[in-house]
Amino acid sequence: MSAAATPERSELEVRGLRKEFAVGGGLFTRERVHAVDDVSFTLKPGRVTALVGESGSGKSTVARLLLRLYEPSGGSVLYDGRDITSNRGRGATLDYRSKVQMIFQDPFDSLNPVKTIHHHLARPLAVHKIVPGKKIDERVNELLDTVGLVPPEKFAAKYPHELSGGQRQRVSIARALAVEPTVVVADEPTSMLDVSIRIGILNLILELKEQHGLAFLYVTHDLASARYVADDVLVMYAGQIVEQGPIDDVLESPRHPYTQLLLSAVPDPSLEAEARVELSTGQQTAAIDPTAGCRFRARCPLAIQICGEVTPQLVDQGGGRAARCHVTAPA
Amino acid sequence: MTVSLIDTPGSTGSARSSETLIEVRGLRVEYGIERPVRAVDGVDLDIRAGEIVGLAGESGCGKTTVANAILQVLRPPGHIVGGSIRFRGQEIAGLDEESLRKFRWRNVSMVFQSAMNALNPVLRVGAQFVDMMQAHERISKKDALKRAGDLLEIVGIDRRRVDSYPHQLSGGMRQRVIIAMALALEPELVIMDEPTTALDVVIQREILQQIQDLQRERGFAVLFITHDLSLLMEVADRIAIMYAGEAVELSAASELRTNPQHPYTVGLIESFPPLTGPRMRLTGIPGTPPDLGEPQVGCRFKARCPYHDPNDAKLYDRQNTERPVLREIAPAHFVACHRVEAGT
Amino acid sequence: MKKLHVPSWVTLLLRNSKSRLGLGILLGILLLAAIGPYFAAKDPNAFSLLDARQAPSWHHLFGTTDQGSDIFAQVSVGARRSLLLGIAAATLATGVATIVGVLAAYAGGIVDDALNSLINIFLVLPPIPLLVVVSGFLKSRGLWTMVLALGLVLWAFEARILRSQALSLRNRDFVNAAKASGEPTRRIIFGELMPNMTSRIAAAWVLVFYISLLTDAGLEFLGLGQLDKPSWGVTLYWAQTNSAVLQGEWWSFVFPGAAIALTVIGLVLLLSGIDEVSNPRLRAEKTRHSFFARMRYALMGGRVAPHAEAS
Repeated sequence: MSAAATPERSELEVRGLRKEFAVGGGLFTRERVHAVDDVSFTLKPGRVTALVGESGSGKSTVARLLLRLYEPSGGSVLYDGRDITSNRGRGATLDYRSKVQMIFQDPFDSLNPVKTIHHHLARPLAVHKIVPGKKIDERVNELLDTVGLVPPEKFAAKYPHELSGGQRQRVSIARALAVEPTVVVADEPTSMLDVSIRIGILNLILELKEQHGLAFLYVTHDLASARYVADDVLVMYAGQIVEQGPIDDVLESPRHPYTQLLLSAVPDPSLEAEARVELSTGQQTAAIDPTAGCRFRARCPLAIQICGEVTPQLVDQGGGRAARCHVTAPA
Repeated sequence: MTVSLIDTPGSTGSARSSETLIEVRGLRVEYGIERPVRAVDGVDLDIRAGEIVGLAGESGCGKTTVANAILQVLRPPGHIVGGSIRFRGQEIAGLDEESLRKFRWRNVSMVFQSAMNALNPVLRVGAQFVDMMQAHERISKKDALKRAGDLLEIVGIDRRRVDSYPHQLSGGMRQRVIIAMALALEPELVIMDEPTTALDVVIQREILQQIQDLQRERGFAVLFITHDLSLLMEVADRIAIMYAGEAVELSAASELRTNPQHPYTVGLIESFPPLTGPRMRLTGIPGTPPDLGEPQVGCRFKARCPYHDPNDAKLYDRQNTERPVLREIAPAHFVACHRVEAGT
Repeated sequence: MKKLHVPSWVTLLLRNSKSRLGLGILLGILLLAAIGPYFAAKDPNAFSLLDARQAPSWHHLFGTTDQGSDIFAQVSVGARRSLLLGIAAATLATGVATIVGVLAAYAGGIVDDALNSLINIFLVLPPIPLLVVVSGFLKSRGLWTMVLALGLVLWAFEARILRSQALSLRNRDFVNAAKASGEPTRRIIFGELMPNMTSRIAAAWVLVFYISLLTDAGLEFLGLGQLDKPSWGVTLYWAQTNSAVLQGEWWSFVFPGAAIALTVIGLVLLLSGIDEVSNPRLRAEKTRHSFFARMRYALMGGRVAPHAEAS
């Protein structure tokens, strides 16, 4: 990967993305969970966008939709202006797969236990014909070098179980880089790693962003690490984006009550105990067959009547910020 | 060997005495006999009535092993090879099965990391409570179920959930259930092994609040094991940091926050990116923990320590050959570090 | 002298002491099948009342049957047929089970539902009536009829197990990662998924092999077998019919029984070597710890360490 090459002006734009799953067994189930509902954002080269949410928010589904591991129920994904969701042919899909790659969450699960590290990196190189056959070994070593696994020859011959969690995650990153993508989706890449190892991986992401001009979507539930790597943030709740904007702005003055809740829940020893927002316990509004109205209303301290009747829209508030709330961001 | 202390139902310790509940001295635990891995190598730890002690460290440091050793639930091939564990002065390690059975859950109970590991997926929640209570005392099923309902309410769950199966409850609720189970016999010490790690950050906050409220009300002691040091600094009274099977620092939480001494503690604290304040590049801690299957010489942290420098010959030598020992460098603040000891 | 290029899996198989032993046993059995008959130099079906019911002797190494046939000849000639039966039936049943199981798991949806139903139907069908029906259907008698019948009866059981293993593998992230890398489906199934199933498939093969050899005798009862062609099952059948146990003629069932048992033991030992080849995690360095130390440790419930220090 040449650092000197100018990054392509390609962007990944997501418009109105939707994904629904049938819930429960049986042939005639009517319940559908709206895992992803009306999600729109743009990933730009050289910028890290954090997608923050808890489990069940739909963030992992968004990641897999971008990788075409699921097909969307609606909306579109545009790469370089072209809608890739309409791609049917293998050639077009393969081309997309060389541009958008993923780093998975579980460092052990994402590597094939019976194959060497060399295999994991050589395969994408071969499938996309990145380099001619005899140059594959050399490129594998270069990739391992890029992610800090030296000496590369030693690591290439190893099996996944011989590596630590952090090392495996670096292999995952190297595999994603093998096809020379422009967009990388990182699905909670550090949540299963030891604390002292996380920073190393996050620094690697920052390095790749700065030196290779990659666009990153950093999916996480951890606001603190999101702040460390990201430029922009999208906050998801029950399948919808409830707030977005430059991360420092959003964290400093969150507009959506859920963002405020998340912020106050993060352990921060420097924070005084009284400054925490009072938590109201209550059932999380499921995204199953959602009715009209705000999905956060059951937990929201600010909820008013209209919140139960009309689904709030994502309202642009200038400066790249938007929020989905009748109270703090009225249309 | 009769153990009179264990026969008494655990007192709730309403008076916040400073008596020592658990005294661990020189604990050594190994796994396997083919090529034994010494997971815990000489750990000293005190837990006093009513206090929250945090045990922090990363994977492989031995913290879960210490917890399992205290409750004598080490799984083979893990076994204690040295040291002593005393509960109120009584040695636990050599106890017979019957006394151990009484000791477990009444005096000391445990909340495991994953509720789905601790709960039987094919039994209703109530039935699991009944099982547990009837194992320890003569109680009718009806009474046990009522108690179960009471306990669920205490942890903030509707008592009708007694009839639910574990999979019908959310992750946070399941975790509360096992906390309720751990409190059922009113133990004096509850060991919590990463009780909130698998939960979302908001639920985690709720559970933590719950634990703190319960602890204040009922006065039990807590041994809180986690890798999340920032969490401990909020919640714990005292914190012990473990690395590669040893305790490397031990102090009051407030002291640790403002004045961490061991380079590993410092590195660990600096591995948590801040939510507020200026944005800056962190370094984490380079390298990986040592392989405990190999014999260890000198300081175990030296390979990753910023102060391991051949230029400082005398210190370098000591780090390579002599194992650091916990020493009190400030009131109630212990550190096992040659450099700190030398007062550099 | 030019160094022989030995593939790594051969080395691994030979290095594992269990699989080495297994290979040795199998080699012995194969030798028996290959040259045994020439060594015996007797007709396994010879009818000689004079020689009947003789215990093992230098003249008749394994003794004789009630009909006077030499058992060593029967076992060594029969080895060929039994082994062929076992290998063919195991390969057929395991092959079908693997194809159906993996296809069902990977394709999912309607294909999975359909194949799963097929598996369940075959599981529910009682084997003996099925065999009888099949035998009536297939006019010819012979080895291949038996192979077909055995394959038909035994594939479903393994198909279910292999399907569930394939299902759990399919949901693992490394399969998703291969997909996201653009690997074609065929390559994902054969290159990524199935190498993780090698141990299980091999074990399935051995199980069907074993059942086939045992059922060989049972098939005679159902009229599916061929009593004139010698095999281990046929020898056992005659031993049973002639109440060899009651007569104390142990040689007429012990030798063919041992042949079957040894073959299967050899295969099972080989399996542990196959496990090591297919699963890199099992390729550990072994230390020399005495058998007794390990026994003592296991018996003590793991509480007392062999070298515990005094508190």
